[in-house]
Amino acid sequence: MNGPKAPLAGVRIADFTIHAAGPFCTQLLAQLGAECIKIESKARLDAFRKPHAVYGRLAAATFDQVSVNKLSVRLNLKQPEAIALAKRLVAISDVTSESFRAGVMQRLGLGFDDLKAIKPDVILVSLSSCGQSGPDSHFAGYAPLFGAWGGLGWMTGYTDGPPVEMRHVMDHSAGIHAAVATMAALHQRRRTGRAQHVDLAAREVASAMIGDALIQASLGVTPTRPGNRHLSMAPYGVYPTRQPDRWLTLAVRDDAQWQALVRELDQPAASSDPRFATAAARLRHCDALDTLLVQWLGACEADATAERLQRAGVCAHVSWSMLDIANDPHLRIRGATTEVSAHDIPQRLAVGAPARFSKTDQVGIKRLTPALGQDEDYVFGKLLGLSTAQRADLERREVIA
Amino acid sequence: MSAEESPRGAELPLAGCRVVEHSRSVAAAYAGRLLAAMGASVVMLEPPAGSPLRKAPPLLEGHSALFASLAAGKRSLVCDLCGAAGRRVLERELGEADILIDDTAPRERAARGLDRETIGKRFPALVHVSVRPFGASGPKADWDGEEVNLLHAGGEGFLLPNGLCYELFPDRPPLKIYGHFSEYQGGSMAAFAALSAWWATPATGGQYVDVSVQDAVLAVGAFALQRFGDGSLEHRSTRHFRYGGVFEARGGYVELLTLEDRQWNALVDLLGRPAWALEAALEDPLERSRRGDDINRHIRAWMLAHDVDDIVQWAQQLGVPAAKYRTPAEVLQGDHERARGLFAPLVLDERLKAEALVAPFQFRCSPLTPAARVPALGEMTHEPPS
Repeated sequence: MNGPKAPLAGVRIADFTIHAAGPFCTQLLAQLGAECIKIESKARLDAFRKPHAVYGRLAAATFDQVSVNKLSVRLNLKQPEAIALAKRLVAISDVTSESFRAGVMQRLGLGFDDLKAIKPDVILVSLSSCGQSGPDSHFAGYAPLFGAWGGLGWMTGYTDGPPVEMRHVMDHSAGIHAAVATMAALHQRRRTGRAQHVDLAAREVASAMIGDALIQASLGVTPTRPGNRHLSMAPYGVYPTRQPDRWLTLAVRDDAQWQALVRELDQPAASSDPRFATAAARLRHCDALDTLLVQWLGACEADATAERLQRAGVCAHVSWSMLDIANDPHLRIRGATTEVSAHDIPQRLAVGAPARFSKTDQVGIKRLTPALGQDEDYVFGKLLGLSTAQRADLERREVIA
Repeated sequence: MSAEESPRGAELPLAGCRVVEHSRSVAAAYAGRLLAAMGASVVMLEPPAGSPLRKAPPLLEGHSALFASLAAGKRSLVCDLCGAAGRRVLERELGEADILIDDTAPRERAARGLDRETIGKRFPALVHVSVRPFGASGPKADWDGEEVNLLHAGGEGFLLPNGLCYELFPDRPPLKIYGHFSEYQGGSMAAFAALSAWWATPATGGQYVDVSVQDAVLAVGAFALQRFGDGSLEHRSTRHFRYGGVFEARGGYVELLTLEDRQWNALVDLLGRPAWALEAALEDPLERSRRGDDINRHIRAWMLAHDVDDIVQWAQQLGVPAAKYRTPAEVLQGDHERARGLFAPLVLDERLKAEALVAPFQFRCSPLTPAARVPALGEMTHEPPS
């Protein structure tokens, strides 16, 4: 199939985002066909272009998921001429995205009003930890802080333990939400022709993940940290199996599934045990139930059990490491994982298109991590019409740097 | 309040976008919720007994707080897709719609008139989005999963918890993220894919879009697959920050994370420039990482001796990234959240007037209109046809 172009073909993004959350957003748009121009500089290298000691990475990344499909140009935004060029890129783009601390774009002369003056229907997407307004808007933060501020960190944890920090999934979740809002702004512009400033605060995405607990709290109820437990399903959780560190996740929705579970695990006595006859009874006796499950599943092989339970209509899955994910044919066939390689990047797996579209296969990874400034012929030369001499001069004066 | 009823409705980002949602899962309902929050008109087709999410915990006097958070701003239409009358209602609603979001199991679709072929032929301009635990194609398309299964099928579950929680309970099973984190990723990915396909309709017409919650969890966990490609297999026991993380302080918990040299220097100031932190070797970030456990031991002792609110205030003044682990009540009453209008009243029923999050994003040129209530089952049945 080589049908119509990718859904976002023709959409251009001037991408000033840094770190993980913002680049993840524009990477999603780029995987669906948007042309994304990543504006960076050698003075402030992007996180993946240098070592990251706190994460234990001692060199630059050779492959960086959140920069796939992006074009790279250099602009030293400390120089007024670079700001002028940045504005020209904004003017020829549909979307401008940034993830600096609130106020930085204004200080650079690239605030929403500045951009609107040169492009009356600009869509500026600002992704930050705390948003563009409010008393905390100047706070810097990373994924674990978003979770802490937003309440998701507090609600996550063993009932008798401390709160738990969110990792990159929190950044990237903010990135998906920003992509959703970007698309809505594009539709709005198509309809009205007007500019929009999307303001996404990552901590508020963390709050959206506890929407139910916030409603409880608004009515004076103090929600408890449930750990792995579910409030209406039992059994529900993560159980050890015969193999060390090979866990089976299990969720039993109703009595029929409970009966299917005990049948598959060959536990006829449990099938008629009144303590477990109804969901309410199983919840009341969930400690006893979990003790039994640990016993039963402790004799089971995890993968075979998950498959058998799925065939019997019970929600079960092995707790997968990245090795399992890398070896999984289902994810590979779907294109959720995809093999990539380049002359300096040995073959490896990456995360592919976020969805499958019936009318096109032109989505997914088309290019890998760009070298710094590798697309300046196209962007500065062709799109902006700068001559070779002009570009050489700008490089010499470290405007393009 | 739906977009059309709102005085500002016409200005909302998705004004005029008509969505039909047929959902049992949090993922599909969250996709519809995001679209509704941005001004789309979202009609939930519910079976006569109501969506199962109406009974999903946590419950407040019989009302589901989860359903309230997912259904606010939508409208409800009862429609039994197993009968002829219901099929006529479906036909009518889809004839008016731009986007269909459905999470029916693939093998049950044909019997309800929701299979890809029938919909594609009958409504060629419609964007038909399928949201399933493992997607609607591939060898595991018929597999089913709840939140706990999906977080682990996508790889993040195996990697949690890290840091302090793991140190305290190294022998316990991996720990899931609160609530329905995976399903929210699947739902937001579905909303993104829906709006992208809708964007392309002038060029390509409608199409069928296949979204999987497992895929979405893997996507947000992409850095773990990236690390795998770099040659290291992540594990929850080793995925902690070399230093920083969760700390117990007086009166609560603090998250602290310094990634840049200037932030480390500010942290040294915050701690009162103790001798151990001024050692020249610690100016090297790699050496700090190597001595992370020692550093954390010192920070832990200091944190325990100070009040949580003082710590985060001093930290932010000095430029040290730090935050308090806030309870839902603290988030709800937060000055920052209040200033940003993050929450608005939401009527669950006449006796239960709650507050709920308006949306996890803002549109500064056309502010979103908060949803006022949770739709009663089948409320549209009594409305005059438009």
